[in-house]
Amino acid sequence: MSHCDEDALALLALGEVVDSRDVAHAQECAECSARLEEYRTVVGVGRTVTADDYPTAPPAEVWDAVSAEVARDRASGSDVVSLDAARSRRRRGGYVLAAAAAVVGLVAGSAVTASVINRPESAQLVASAQLDPIGDAGVTGKAEVQTVNGTSQLKVTVPNLPNVNGGYYEVWMATADTKNMVAIGNLNPGSTAVYTLPAGMDLASFPVVDVSLETYDGNTGHSATSVVRGNLNA
Amino acid sequence: MQPSDDSELAAAFVAGDERALEQVYSRWSSLVFTMARRATGNESDASDITQAVFISAWRGRSGFDAAKGSLPGWLVTITRRRIADHWESISRETRKIDAESARLDDEAVAGHAEESVNRVLIADELSQLGEPQKKIMELAFFQDLTHAQIARALDIPLGTVKSHIRRSLDRLRTRLEVDHVAL
Ligand SMILES: [Zn+2]
Repeated sequence: MSHCDEDALALLALGEVVDSRDVAHAQECAECSARLEEYRTVVGVGRTVTADDYPTAPPAEVWDAVSAEVARDRASGSDVVSLDAARSRRRRGGYVLAAAAAVVGLVAGSAVTASVINRPESAQLVASAQLDPIGDAGVTGKAEVQTVNGTSQLKVTVPNLPNVNGGYYEVWMATADTKNMVAIGNLNPGSTAVYTLPAGMDLASFPVVDVSLETYDGNTGHSATSVVRGNLNA
Repeated sequence: MQPSDDSELAAAFVAGDERALEQVYSRWSSLVFTMARRATGNESDASDITQAVFISAWRGRSGFDAAKGSLPGWLVTITRRRIADHWESISRETRKIDAESARLDDEAVAGHAEESVNRVLIADELSQLGEPQKKIMELAFFQDLTHAQIARALDIPLGTVKSHIRRSLDRLRTRLEVDHVAL
Protein backbone atom coordinates (compact mmCIF):
# COMPACT_ATOMS: atom_id res chain seq x y z
CA MET A 1 0.00 0.00 0.00
CA SER A 2 1.13 3.56 -0.65
CA HIS A 3 1.48 6.08 2.19
CA CYS A 4 -1.50 7.02 4.33
CA ASP A 5 -3.96 9.52 3.08
CA GLU A 6 -2.76 12.68 4.85
CA ASP A 7 -6.27 13.74 5.80
CA ALA A 8 -6.67 10.34 7.47
CA LEU A 9 -3.48 10.88 9.48
CA ALA A 10 -4.82 14.22 10.68
CA LEU A 11 -8.10 12.66 11.74
CA LEU A 12 -6.28 9.77 13.42
CA ALA A 13 -4.27 12.29 15.44
CA LEU A 14 -7.55 13.86 16.55
CA GLY A 15 -8.71 10.46 17.78
CA GLU A 16 -11.17 9.76 15.02
CA VAL A 17 -11.85 6.35 13.57
CA VAL A 18 -10.28 5.94 10.12
CA ASP A 19 -9.85 3.15 7.58
CA SER A 20 -8.11 0.20 9.26
CA ARG A 21 -5.61 0.01 6.37
CA ASP A 22 -4.45 3.54 7.18
CA VAL A 23 -4.09 2.60 10.85
CA ALA A 24 -2.09 -0.51 9.98
CA HIS A 25 0.16 1.38 7.56
CA ALA A 26 0.81 4.18 10.03
CA GLN A 27 2.08 1.62 12.52
CA GLU A 28 4.57 0.14 10.07
CA CYS A 29 5.73 3.10 8.03
CA ALA A 30 8.39 5.30 9.64
CA GLU A 31 7.46 8.30 7.56
CA CYS A 32 3.74 8.15 8.27
CA SER A 33 4.18 7.34 11.96
CA ALA A 34 6.54 10.31 12.32
CA ARG A 35 3.99 12.60 10.70
CA LEU A 36 1.25 11.14 12.92
CA GLU A 37 3.39 11.83 16.00
CA GLU A 38 3.84 15.45 14.92
CA TYR A 39 0.11 15.88 14.39
CA ARG A 40 -0.52 14.31 17.80
CA THR A 41 1.85 16.78 19.43
CA VAL A 42 -0.03 19.67 17.82
CA VAL A 43 -3.40 18.21 18.82
CA GLY A 44 -2.13 17.62 22.36
CA VAL A 45 -1.04 21.25 22.69
CA GLY A 46 -4.09 22.57 20.82
CA ARG A 47 -6.59 20.83 23.09
CA THR A 48 -5.06 22.43 26.18
CA VAL A 49 -5.23 25.99 24.80
CA THR A 50 -7.37 28.25 26.97
CA ALA A 51 -8.67 31.78 26.46
CA ASP A 52 -5.70 33.05 28.50
CA ASP A 53 -3.26 31.71 25.92
CA TYR A 54 -4.35 34.08 23.16
CA PRO A 55 -1.82 36.91 22.87
CA THR A 56 -2.63 40.14 24.65
CA ALA A 57 -0.60 43.34 24.54
CA PRO A 58 1.85 44.20 27.31
CA PRO A 59 1.20 47.35 29.39
CA ALA A 60 2.22 50.57 27.60
CA GLU A 61 5.02 51.20 30.13
CA VAL A 62 6.95 48.29 28.64
CA TRP A 63 7.42 50.06 25.33
CA ASP A 64 8.20 53.30 27.17
CA ALA A 65 10.96 51.48 29.03
CA VAL A 66 12.31 49.84 25.88
CA SER A 67 12.41 53.06 23.90
CA ALA A 68 13.93 54.98 26.81
CA GLU A 69 16.68 52.44 27.03
CA VAL A 70 17.31 52.55 23.30
CA ALA A 71 17.46 56.33 23.51
CA ARG A 72 20.02 56.09 26.32
CA ASP A 73 22.13 53.71 24.23
CA ARG A 74 21.99 56.19 21.38
CA ALA A 75 22.83 59.16 23.61
CA SER A 76 25.75 57.47 25.30
CA GLY A 77 27.01 56.32 21.92
CA SER A 78 28.04 53.17 23.64
CA ASP A 79 28.39 50.33 21.29
CA VAL A 80 26.69 47.37 22.72
CA VAL A 81 27.77 43.89 23.53
CA SER A 82 26.59 41.75 20.72
CA LEU A 83 24.48 39.08 22.39
CA ASP A 84 25.90 36.62 19.96
CA ALA A 85 29.46 37.59 20.74
CA ALA A 86 28.83 37.53 24.47
CA ARG A 87 27.30 34.10 24.23
CA SER A 88 30.15 32.70 22.24
CA ARG A 89 32.53 34.16 24.79
CA ARG A 90 30.58 32.29 27.43
CA ARG A 91 30.80 29.06 25.54
CA ARG A 92 34.50 29.47 25.15
CA GLY A 93 34.93 30.20 28.82
CA GLY A 94 38.20 31.85 29.66
CA TYR A 95 39.52 32.06 26.15
CA VAL A 96 38.68 35.69 25.48
CA LEU A 97 39.79 36.72 28.91
CA ALA A 98 43.17 35.17 28.23
CA ALA A 99 43.32 36.72 24.78
CA ALA A 100 42.42 40.17 26.08
CA ALA A 101 44.94 39.79 28.86
CA ALA A 102 47.60 39.04 26.30
CA VAL A 103 46.70 42.27 24.50
CA VAL A 104 47.45 44.32 27.57
CA GLY A 105 50.50 42.31 28.40
CA LEU A 106 49.67 40.53 31.59
CA VAL A 107 49.23 36.98 32.69
CA ALA A 108 45.54 36.48 33.23
CA GLY A 109 44.55 36.35 36.85
CA SER A 110 47.91 37.20 38.30
CA ALA A 111 47.86 40.95 38.58
CA VAL A 112 44.21 41.81 38.98
CA THR A 113 43.33 42.17 42.61
CA ALA A 114 40.46 43.95 44.21
CA SER A 115 40.43 45.69 47.51
CA VAL A 116 38.37 48.31 49.18
CA ILE A 117 40.57 51.14 50.30
CA ASN A 118 40.42 54.86 50.81
CA ARG A 119 42.03 57.16 48.28
CA PRO A 120 45.53 57.84 49.57
CA GLU A 121 46.88 61.38 49.73
CA SER A 122 49.13 60.83 46.76
CA ALA A 123 46.36 59.67 44.41
CA GLN A 124 46.05 61.48 41.10
CA LEU A 125 42.91 61.35 39.02
CA VAL A 126 43.69 60.13 35.49
CA ALA A 127 40.27 59.61 33.94
CA SER A 128 36.67 59.28 34.97
CA ALA A 129 33.45 57.93 33.58
CA GLN A 130 29.82 58.45 34.27
CA LEU A 131 28.23 54.98 34.28
CA ASP A 132 24.85 55.03 32.61
CA PRO A 133 22.11 52.52 33.26
CA ILE A 134 21.69 49.53 30.99
CA GLY A 135 18.98 46.95 31.42
CA ASP A 136 16.38 46.78 34.15
CA ALA A 137 18.41 47.93 37.14
CA GLY A 138 17.98 51.65 36.43
CA VAL A 139 20.98 52.66 38.53
CA THR A 140 23.88 54.90 37.67
CA GLY A 141 27.44 55.01 38.88
CA LYS A 142 30.87 56.45 38.55
CA ALA A 143 34.28 55.09 37.67
CA GLU A 144 37.64 56.75 38.20
CA VAL A 145 41.13 55.75 37.27
CA GLN A 146 43.76 57.11 39.58
CA THR A 147 47.47 56.54 40.02
CA VAL A 148 48.85 55.94 43.43
CA ASN A 149 52.63 55.72 43.67
CA GLY A 150 52.87 54.71 40.04
CA THR A 151 50.14 52.09 40.25
CA SER A 152 46.87 52.50 38.33
CA GLN A 153 43.70 51.88 40.21
CA LEU A 154 40.13 51.70 39.04
CA LYS A 155 37.59 52.90 41.55
CA VAL A 156 33.99 51.96 40.88
CA THR A 157 30.93 53.03 42.78
CA VAL A 158 27.35 52.24 41.86
CA PRO A 159 25.09 53.52 44.66
CA ASN A 160 21.75 51.75 44.94
CA LEU A 161 23.03 48.64 43.23
CA PRO A 162 20.32 46.14 44.19
CA ASN A 163 21.22 42.99 46.06
CA VAL A 164 20.86 39.91 43.92
CA ASN A 165 19.99 36.41 44.93
CA GLY A 166 22.08 33.77 43.27
CA GLY A 167 24.24 36.18 41.36
CA TYR A 168 26.96 38.79 41.66
CA TYR A 169 28.24 41.87 39.89
CA GLU A 170 31.44 41.97 37.93
CA VAL A 171 33.43 44.94 36.69
CA TRP A 172 34.90 44.79 33.21
CA MET A 173 37.09 47.01 31.07
CA ALA A 174 36.43 46.75 27.38
CA THR A 175 37.52 48.01 24.02
CA ALA A 176 35.26 50.68 22.50
CA ASP A 177 33.49 48.06 20.41
CA THR A 178 33.22 45.83 23.54
CA LYS A 179 34.57 42.94 21.52
CA ASN A 180 37.40 42.43 23.97
CA MET A 181 36.76 42.55 27.67
CA VAL A 182 38.92 42.08 30.69
CA ALA A 183 37.35 40.96 33.94
CA ILE A 184 38.54 43.33 36.65
CA GLY A 185 36.81 42.02 39.73
CA ASN A 186 33.62 41.65 41.69
CA LEU A 187 31.56 44.55 42.93
CA ASN A 188 29.46 44.22 46.05
CA PRO A 189 26.28 46.26 46.38
CA GLY A 190 26.67 49.12 48.80
CA SER A 191 30.45 49.40 48.55
CA THR A 192 32.97 51.37 46.57
CA ALA A 193 35.54 49.04 45.11
CA VAL A 194 39.10 49.87 44.17
CA TYR A 195 40.96 47.53 41.86
CA THR A 196 44.63 47.59 41.08
CA LEU A 197 44.95 47.60 37.32
CA PRO A 198 47.64 45.53 35.68
CA ALA A 199 50.75 47.41 34.63
CA GLY A 200 50.47 48.34 30.99
CA MET A 201 46.66 48.43 31.00
CA ASP A 202 46.06 50.88 28.19
CA LEU A 203 43.05 53.09 28.84
CA ALA A 204 43.03 54.21 25.21
CA SER A 205 42.53 50.60 24.13
CA PHE A 206 40.13 49.70 26.94
CA PRO A 207 38.13 52.87 27.58
CA VAL A 208 34.84 51.24 28.50
CA VAL A 209 33.92 50.37 32.08
CA ASP A 210 31.05 47.94 32.34
CA VAL A 211 29.35 46.29 35.29
CA SER A 212 27.54 43.07 34.54
CA LEU A 213 25.21 40.87 36.49
CA GLU A 214 26.65 37.38 36.55
CA THR A 215 25.19 34.12 37.72
CA TYR A 216 27.08 31.28 39.33
CA ASP A 217 26.98 29.20 36.20
CA GLY A 218 30.63 28.37 35.79
CA ASN A 219 30.95 30.64 32.77
CA THR A 220 33.76 33.11 33.15
CA GLY A 221 32.72 35.21 30.16
CA HIS A 222 30.51 38.28 30.25
CA SER A 223 26.88 37.33 30.88
CA ALA A 224 25.60 39.86 28.32
CA THR A 225 23.50 41.38 31.09
CA SER A 226 25.07 44.76 31.77
CA VAL A 227 23.83 47.00 34.55
CA VAL A 228 25.80 50.18 33.90
CA ARG A 229 28.40 51.23 31.39
CA GLY A 230 30.41 54.30 30.53
CA ASN A 231 33.45 55.64 28.72
CA LEU A 232 36.52 56.83 30.56
CA ASN A 233 37.48 60.38 29.69
CA ALA A 234 40.74 61.91 30.65
CA MET B 1 1.99 36.08 5.58
CA GLN B 2 4.05 38.64 3.72
CA PRO B 3 7.52 37.14 3.50
CA SER B 4 9.09 40.02 1.62
CA ASP B 5 7.73 42.57 4.11
CA ASP B 6 9.00 40.42 6.96
CA SER B 7 12.49 40.12 5.53
CA GLU B 8 12.64 43.85 4.77
CA LEU B 9 11.59 44.59 8.32
CA ALA B 10 14.20 42.17 9.65
CA ALA B 11 16.88 43.78 7.48
CA ALA B 12 15.99 47.28 8.70
CA PHE B 13 16.00 46.02 12.28
CA VAL B 14 19.44 44.47 11.92
CA ALA B 15 20.67 47.68 10.28
CA GLY B 16 19.75 49.55 13.47
CA ASP B 17 16.67 51.39 12.24
CA GLU B 18 14.75 52.38 15.38
CA ARG B 19 11.48 52.64 13.43
CA ALA B 20 11.93 48.99 12.55
CA LEU B 21 12.33 48.24 16.26
CA GLU B 22 9.05 50.01 16.92
CA GLN B 23 7.34 47.97 14.23
CA VAL B 24 8.88 44.74 15.42
CA TYR B 25 7.67 45.57 18.91
CA SER B 26 4.14 46.38 17.77
CA ARG B 27 3.91 43.14 15.83
CA TRP B 28 5.39 40.69 18.27
CA SER B 29 5.33 42.15 21.76
CA SER B 30 1.91 40.60 22.46
CA LEU B 31 3.28 37.19 21.58
CA VAL B 32 6.40 37.66 23.73
CA PHE B 33 4.44 39.14 26.63
CA THR B 34 1.78 36.43 26.59
CA MET B 35 4.35 33.64 26.52
CA ALA B 36 6.06 35.20 29.50
CA ARG B 37 2.73 35.85 31.25
CA ARG B 38 1.63 32.23 30.84
CA ALA B 39 5.01 30.80 31.75
CA THR B 40 5.55 32.93 34.86
CA GLY B 41 1.92 33.34 35.90
CA ASN B 42 2.20 37.05 36.57
CA GLU B 43 2.06 40.23 34.54
CA SER B 44 4.81 42.07 36.35
CA ASP B 45 7.45 39.42 35.64
CA ALA B 46 6.07 39.11 32.12
CA SER B 47 6.53 42.86 31.59
CA ASP B 48 10.12 42.65 32.80
CA ILE B 49 10.83 39.70 30.55
CA THR B 50 9.22 41.43 27.56
CA GLN B 51 11.34 44.52 28.10
CA ALA B 52 14.48 42.41 28.46
CA VAL B 53 13.68 40.41 25.32
CA PHE B 54 13.33 43.47 23.10
CA ILE B 55 16.34 45.20 24.60
CA SER B 56 18.54 42.16 24.17
CA ALA B 57 17.19 41.57 20.66
CA TRP B 58 17.96 45.19 19.78
CA ARG B 59 21.42 45.17 21.29
CA GLY B 60 22.15 41.76 19.88
CA ARG B 61 20.61 42.44 16.48
CA SER B 62 23.87 41.71 14.69
CA GLY B 63 23.47 38.16 15.95
CA PHE B 64 20.25 37.63 14.05
CA ASP B 65 20.82 35.44 11.02
CA ALA B 66 17.94 35.41 8.54
CA ALA B 67 19.39 32.25 7.02
CA LYS B 68 18.72 30.40 10.28
CA GLY B 69 15.13 31.46 10.75
CA SER B 70 12.54 34.19 10.97
CA LEU B 71 12.76 37.27 13.16
CA PRO B 72 9.69 36.28 15.22
CA GLY B 73 11.20 32.80 15.59
CA TRP B 74 14.36 34.42 16.91
CA LEU B 75 12.34 36.55 19.33
CA VAL B 76 10.53 33.46 20.57
CA THR B 77 13.88 31.77 21.14
CA ILE B 78 15.13 34.75 23.16
CA THR B 79 11.86 34.70 25.10
CA ARG B 80 12.27 31.02 25.92
CA ARG B 81 15.75 31.73 27.20
CA ARG B 82 14.64 34.70 29.29
CA ILE B 83 11.85 32.61 30.80
CA ALA B 84 14.37 29.88 31.59
CA ASP B 85 16.67 32.48 33.21
CA HIS B 86 13.74 33.71 35.26
CA TRP B 87 13.00 30.23 36.60
CA GLU B 88 16.65 29.56 37.15
CA SER B 89 16.98 32.63 39.35
CA ILE B 90 13.89 31.66 41.32
CA SER B 91 14.89 28.06 41.76
CA ARG B 92 18.29 29.16 42.97
CA GLU B 93 16.59 31.15 45.70
CA THR B 94 14.57 28.22 46.84
CA ARG B 95 17.09 25.56 45.99
CA LYS B 96 16.75 22.46 48.07
CA ILE B 97 19.70 20.79 49.76
CA ASP B 98 18.77 17.61 47.99
CA ALA B 99 20.41 18.11 44.62
CA GLU B 100 18.47 15.34 42.96
CA SER B 101 15.04 16.68 43.82
CA ALA B 102 16.18 20.18 42.90
CA ARG B 103 17.20 18.90 39.50
CA LEU B 104 13.85 17.17 39.02
CA ASP B 105 12.05 20.35 40.08
CA ASP B 106 14.05 22.32 37.53
CA GLU B 107 13.13 19.88 34.81
CA ALA B 108 9.46 20.01 35.77
CA VAL B 109 9.52 23.81 35.75
CA ALA B 110 11.32 23.91 32.40
CA GLY B 111 8.83 21.45 30.94
CA HIS B 112 5.92 23.49 32.24
CA ALA B 113 7.34 26.71 30.79
CA GLU B 114 7.94 25.01 27.46
CA GLU B 115 4.33 23.78 27.33
CA SER B 116 3.04 27.26 28.16
CA VAL B 117 5.09 28.79 25.37
CA ASN B 118 3.86 26.19 22.88
CA ARG B 119 0.23 26.77 23.86
CA VAL B 120 0.62 30.49 23.21
CA LEU B 121 2.22 29.80 19.82
CA ILE B 122 -0.66 27.53 18.86
CA ALA B 123 -3.25 30.01 20.17
CA ASP B 124 -1.58 32.76 18.15
CA GLU B 125 -1.58 30.65 14.99
CA LEU B 126 -5.20 29.58 15.59
CA SER B 127 -6.23 33.21 15.89
CA GLN B 128 -4.62 33.90 12.50
CA LEU B 129 -6.51 31.15 10.69
CA GLY B 130 -9.18 32.33 8.29
CA GLU B 131 -12.78 31.18 8.37
CA PRO B 132 -14.11 28.58 8.28
CA GLN B 133 -10.75 27.00 9.27
CA LYS B 134 -10.69 28.70 12.66
CA LYS B 135 -14.21 27.59 13.53
CA ILE B 136 -13.47 24.06 12.32
CA MET B 137 -10.36 23.76 14.49
CA GLU B 138 -12.10 25.20 17.52
CA LEU B 139 -14.84 22.61 17.19
CA ALA B 140 -12.29 19.82 16.70
CA PHE B 141 -10.02 20.93 19.57
CA PHE B 142 -12.32 22.37 22.16
CA GLN B 143 -15.67 20.66 21.49
CA ASP B 144 -14.16 17.31 20.48
CA LEU B 145 -16.48 17.09 17.48
CA THR B 146 -15.65 14.62 14.72
CA HIS B 147 -15.17 15.92 11.20
CA ALA B 148 -18.60 14.51 10.29
CA GLN B 149 -20.23 16.41 13.16
CA ILE B 150 -18.36 19.57 12.16
CA ALA B 151 -19.49 19.17 8.53
CA ARG B 152 -23.09 18.94 9.68
CA ALA B 153 -22.79 21.78 12.20
CA LEU B 154 -21.27 24.18 9.68
CA ASP B 155 -22.99 22.75 6.61
CA ILE B 156 -19.70 22.25 4.80
CA PRO B 157 -18.88 19.17 2.63
CA LEU B 158 -17.09 16.37 4.49
CA GLY B 159 -14.06 16.37 2.19
CA THR B 160 -13.61 20.12 2.62
CA VAL B 161 -13.67 19.82 6.40
CA LYS B 162 -11.11 17.02 6.27
CA SER B 163 -8.67 18.94 4.11
CA HIS B 164 -9.14 22.11 6.20
CA ILE B 165 -8.29 20.10 9.31
CA ARG B 166 -5.20 18.59 7.73
CA ARG B 167 -3.93 21.90 6.33
CA SER B 168 -4.54 23.68 9.61
CA LEU B 169 -2.67 20.98 11.52
CA ASP B 170 0.18 21.36 9.03
CA ARG B 171 0.24 25.08 9.65
CA LEU B 172 0.23 24.67 13.43
CA ARG B 173 2.92 22.00 13.21
CA THR B 174 5.12 24.26 11.10
CA ARG B 175 4.64 27.08 13.57
CA LEU B 176 5.92 24.92 16.43
CA GLU B 177 8.89 23.90 14.30
CA VAL B 178 9.98 27.26 12.93
CA ASP B 179 9.81 28.90 16.31
CA HIS B 180 12.46 26.57 17.60
CA VAL B 181 15.22 28.60 16.05
CA ALA B 182 18.74 28.14 17.28
CA LEU B 183 20.54 31.32 18.28
ZN1 LIG C 1 3.76 5.69 4.91
